[in-house]
Amino acid sequence: MSVDNFRNISNKYRRYKAHVSVLGTTQLHLRNPYIIAWWSAAFPGFGHLLLSKYLRGYILFIWEVVVNVQADINTAMVHSFEGKFELVKTDLHPRWMLMYIPVFVFGIWDSYRTCVDMNNVYLLAEREDAPFNSYTVGSAEINYLDKRNPIMSVLWSLFMPGLGQLHIHRVLMAFFSLAWGIVFLYQSRLLEAVQFLFFGDLQKSTAVLNPEWLMFMPSVWGFAAYDSYINTVENNKLFEYEQRTFLRKNYQSHSFTIKKGQVIAE
Amino acid sequence: MMQIMSTFEHSLKLELAISALELAGIQKQHIFAVPLTNRKVDRKLLDNLHNSDGVTLFSTGAALATAFAVVGASIGFSLKWGPIYWGLITAGSGFLIGFFIDLFINKVIKKRKRLLRGKNPQVILIVECREDQADNVENILWKYLAIGLARVQN
Repeated sequence: MSVDNFRNISNKYRRYKAHVSVLGTTQLHLRNPYIIAWWSAAFPGFGHLLLSKYLRGYILFIWEVVVNVQADINTAMVHSFEGKFELVKTDLHPRWMLMYIPVFVFGIWDSYRTCVDMNNVYLLAEREDAPFNSYTVGSAEINYLDKRNPIMSVLWSLFMPGLGQLHIHRVLMAFFSLAWGIVFLYQSRLLEAVQFLFFGDLQKSTAVLNPEWLMFMPSVWGFAAYDSYINTVENNKLFEYEQRTFLRKNYQSHSFTIKKGQVIAE
Repeated sequence: MMQIMSTFEHSLKLELAISALELAGIQKQHIFAVPLTNRKVDRKLLDNLHNSDGVTLFSTGAALATAFAVVGASIGFSLKWGPIYWGLITAGSGFLIGFFIDLFINKVIKKRKRLLRGKNPQVILIVECREDQADNVENILWKYLAIGLARVQN
């Protein structure tokens, strides 16, 4: 249980544009549907995660990892880019590969469609201007609106995907990114390869890498940085919006008059 | 009575300033806050909308960095420098290309005006107080990072 500064008891509004909870700050805001669709193409689930649709995003993400690894799609992709087309044919496992296509396309299509819908919902919520919870304190966590530096979100995300989300208290996304970061880094042997690079041994560095798992990492890094950056910016904007509303409500007394006079020099 | 005018950025400091003023005996109805609009809120609708403003210079960069890194790291397996270096190089160049595409669109094609960099006054705060309170009020406002301040006497 937690103590909030707004409880929706009367339920007299139709749409709320934000909610601050123990698990994170969730908000509707305008997004470019093409960018959302692109992230779904980079990694199924990312588009939905950007929209704060975590359950749909998790399902697609986990599906992608399982089917991609079983079908060896990343390995085939690496060999295709290298021009080793004979290898590609033996890489892929038809027993798994064909089921990849419909879900992959669904992820892109559905995140695009959802994004367009949610932009409409946002516009309605913005006009309705319903109050929302902006502060919560509970036994396990405290979450509130304030301003954070978006550059720091990006930097921490680059060090380890998930830290940028922790910075802005997106707990669900942070845990998910950190956990999968461990899996991808371990399975791809990327860190061993980096160590070989520090020793100057390029051949060993390349040889130790596992391309099937390594190729998840660019998307995960790019996504972690982008997601934490835009959400930091949006959280800052939400803070300003909430403070403006607070000031208008509390510090604009009708009896207050601005007096004519002279500015006293320093 | 005199009035002290000041400007602030939106931040928790502003609310700390207001609560400190109230503790110092300034009544609520003698504090007047005017949040300024620093930007037009109206935006174009849906499909051709540009992302939540302030983000546009980052979106294409992040997307291209990821795409380029995937291809670069793949090809890197058969290049001398290996997949890590090539992944990083192509990610960096993808980001720069995307960044400059967005910059070009914003500066040259759309000529959109962005917010001034650095601190912008976002709120005007006017405090009415007795002359003997003025120094204290001024100190409180400066302490909580007022951007500018003036005393007006009538």
